[in-house]
Amino acid sequence: MTLTIDGHAVTVPKGTLIVEAAKLIGVEIPVFCYHHKLDPVGACRLCLVELSPGPPRAQTACTTPVAEGMTVRVTSPMAVKSRADILEFELTNHPLDCPVCDKGGECPLQDFTYRHGYPVSRVQEPRLHFAKPLPISDRIALDRERCVLCYRCTRYYDEVAWEQELTTNQRGVQSYIATQFDQPLQSVFSGNIIDLCPVGALTSRVWRFQSRPWDMDHTASVCSRCAVGCNVNLWERRGELMRVTARENVEIDDGWICDRGRFEYTHVNSPERLAQPRVQRRPAAWEEALSRIAAAIKGRGPRLGLSIPADITNEEAFLLARLLNGPLRGARVVMPGRTSLPGPPANQLAIKDLDGCRTIVVVAADVRADAPIVNLRVKKAVAKSGARLLTVNPELIDFDRHPGVEHVAYEPGHAAAAVRKLFDHPLLQEGPVGILYGDSAGAEDGAAIATAVAWLAKEIGAKVMPLYRATNERGVLALGILNGDSLDGCEYVFTWGQALAGGVPKGVRFLACWDDFARPYHDRAQVVIPAVTFAEDQGSYTNLEGRVQFLVPPLQPKPPLRQGWEVLQDLGLALGLGSDYLGIFQVQRDAAAAYPALAALAVPPAPAPPPAPVAMGAARP
Amino acid sequence: MTLSDHTLKEIRELPPKYPHIRSAVMPALDLVQEELGMLTQEAMTQVAQALQVDPGYVEGVATFYSLFHLEPVGKHHLYVCNNLSCQLRGAEELLTHIKESIGVSEYGQVSADGLFSVEPVECLGACEYAPMLRADHRFHYDLTPAKIDTLLKEWRGDREGKKARKEAHPRAGSH
Ligand code: SF4
Ligand code: SF4
Ligand code: FES
Ligand code: FES
Repeated sequence: MTLTIDGHAVTVPKGTLIVEAAKLIGVEIPVFCYHHKLDPVGACRLCLVELSPGPPRAQTACTTPVAEGMTVRVTSPMAVKSRADILEFELTNHPLDCPVCDKGGECPLQDFTYRHGYPVSRVQEPRLHFAKPLPISDRIALDRERCVLCYRCTRYYDEVAWEQELTTNQRGVQSYIATQFDQPLQSVFSGNIIDLCPVGALTSRVWRFQSRPWDMDHTASVCSRCAVGCNVNLWERRGELMRVTARENVEIDDGWICDRGRFEYTHVNSPERLAQPRVQRRPAAWEEALSRIAAAIKGRGPRLGLSIPADITNEEAFLLARLLNGPLRGARVVMPGRTSLPGPPANQLAIKDLDGCRTIVVVAADVRADAPIVNLRVKKAVAKSGARLLTVNPELIDFDRHPGVEHVAYEPGHAAAAVRKLFDHPLLQEGPVGILYGDSAGAEDGAAIATAVAWLAKEIGAKVMPLYRATNERGVLALGILNGDSLDGCEYVFTWGQALAGGVPKGVRFLACWDDFARPYHDRAQVVIPAVTFAEDQGSYTNLEGRVQFLVPPLQPKPPLRQGWEVLQDLGLALGLGSDYLGIFQVQRDAAAAYPALAALAVPPAPAPPPAPVAMGAARP
Repeated sequence: MTLSDHTLKEIRELPPKYPHIRSAVMPALDLVQEELGMLTQEAMTQVAQALQVDPGYVEGVATFYSLFHLEPVGKHHLYVCNNLSCQLRGAEELLTHIKESIGVSEYGQVSADGLFSVEPVECLGACEYAPMLRADHRFHYDLTPAKIDTLLKEWRGDREGKKARKEAHPRAGSH
């Protein structure tokens, strides 16, 4: 359909809303309640424009679909005045405490008032007051005075997260946002309301008063907390990681991140972090520390045990694999926190493919815990494209609260048999079918489930998605270096990251630890070396659908801290392995050539897109 | 305060009558208020469980409507119309009179004997009989302080009051 917006012609598909059409040609129509991931409601009236043909009043651009030959005027006197009037209403109860508001600098209410509002306020009347700020969880504060009642937060909870911890109480001008019976928010998806709120009504308590939007830089990176691989922005100021926000990638996260990804970052700036290699508890140079380790672990075969971190990068895993194929051959390698699922399946279901599934089956997994943002994508498929959902779990999981979701229970330990029985389940007779499977947090035999799921998928023509738990579990599985669950019986142990839940095995003759924080068992270590975090490390992760994504660290490792790949290269040298990588790009090139699963490493990460230009806005009245 | 099994059963029978399960929340809350006189947090949670919605949603609905009571009210809660017609015919004086008679200083406060509370409301659609009030699902018309006294007497269990009212107000209707 072709229409004109302020004289610019634009052609868009039928059903497109006027706001979206305007975005395409860079015309700004201000919005509060409208959000492209939520259903339109038309609650705030800020998006008023003049339409012809149309009624002689301004209409909401966020609820009106385009029509052939329509003329939209964003800058006509009627439209400009209507929006300015709405903004004046929005500000009647607004406290205007921008100087102490964390939203200041990235606040649509500020920006729109500046670009579309009246320059001065006529309001003399007293404003509504509420107690503020109100903590609504450990991590989020609510300021009801600043709220413009756009209902983005409550609609998000309802439509996207399928929870109603957050609601609107009272009505009319007295309405305010409240948590269920004033209880703290519990959801692992709560933090997205901070990004959604168009004003400073919902702010992060973790970031509160730490910095301003304009004094930070950010990099377009990837979350390191689980195997979903949500895209994030990492915000830095003066060498510290200030906050983490969502960065929309429709193929993976659809613009959401979970609270683990959003709030678990403060350790990066902790003064308690290890900074210095130590040998026998005294500070030492890297060369000494690494040669001590090399001398102790070289050629020990299966008597050497290695534990590697969940968020090891592909590059680090590649360098480690070289050591394991050489001087460390035969060593036992474990990855605490991973599932027991085997390597990648044949017919992988991509996260974005969930949108098109007719039926989704979830086997032996609480998706909300294992792969949080995949949980939201499943909900989207059910709510927006009418997918049918079948959960196969011993207990009910969060999906099952939704009417229409079918549940198949099985005796714990018999997941694989339950999967085979699904063969003639009525819901699976019509495709496309997507099967998500886990190992019930370690309670089931992942290999048996994977085999059963592969069989079922082949029989009914389904695609499958293993729900790995560890961030780069899939990348490491592709290299084939993992060969155990426990280091028991190993005499020489090198822990990297948090060791196994059971701690360091008994009877260890040599212990070296590579870690970002001191842990009790470090006391027994001959050598301790400091590790970088996701905010300093270069490299990439393979997410649970097999997609390789690059970390873009906003921080430099503070000397003597060194990046993971550098340490591994030097450890290789100390072990007598020739190696002369000058930069991580050379590691990536070799890794891509050696392992087909890492071929994507040869393609350098795309440069960050330039900041979006400020759209053509309507002039002030 | 929690709900009786009987009310819960009635609530569970509501959803099929509505296109969406959420539509059953209002009639369910009506049933709760009928039984308990007010909506307690426990009862709202019970409603939420019975209808398989979140308690937060029930709370949002309950706070939206001023006819749902979230605080205790008297056994007889008096909704006294205070809109234009009733106002012109002395609603304000009636309200003051009622407050004094039942011994409360604030709207919504419950009298010491637990029998009464009073609240001004907007037009109840009976302007032709102004001033008027609604209590226990009945409308009472053409009120004067004297008629209020009779009503209160009756509600206090005074048989004389009842008789007196029947004679004085043959018109009192039920809506
Ligand atoms: S708190 Fe923010 S997101 Fe929620 S209704 Fe208010 S302004 Fe909108
Ligand atoms: S779902 Fe996983 S990748 Fe996404 S934000 Fe949460 S922890 Fe990070
Ligand atoms: S953005 Fe259109 S009414 Fe709120
Ligand atoms: S004004 Fe009192 S009933 Fe209408």
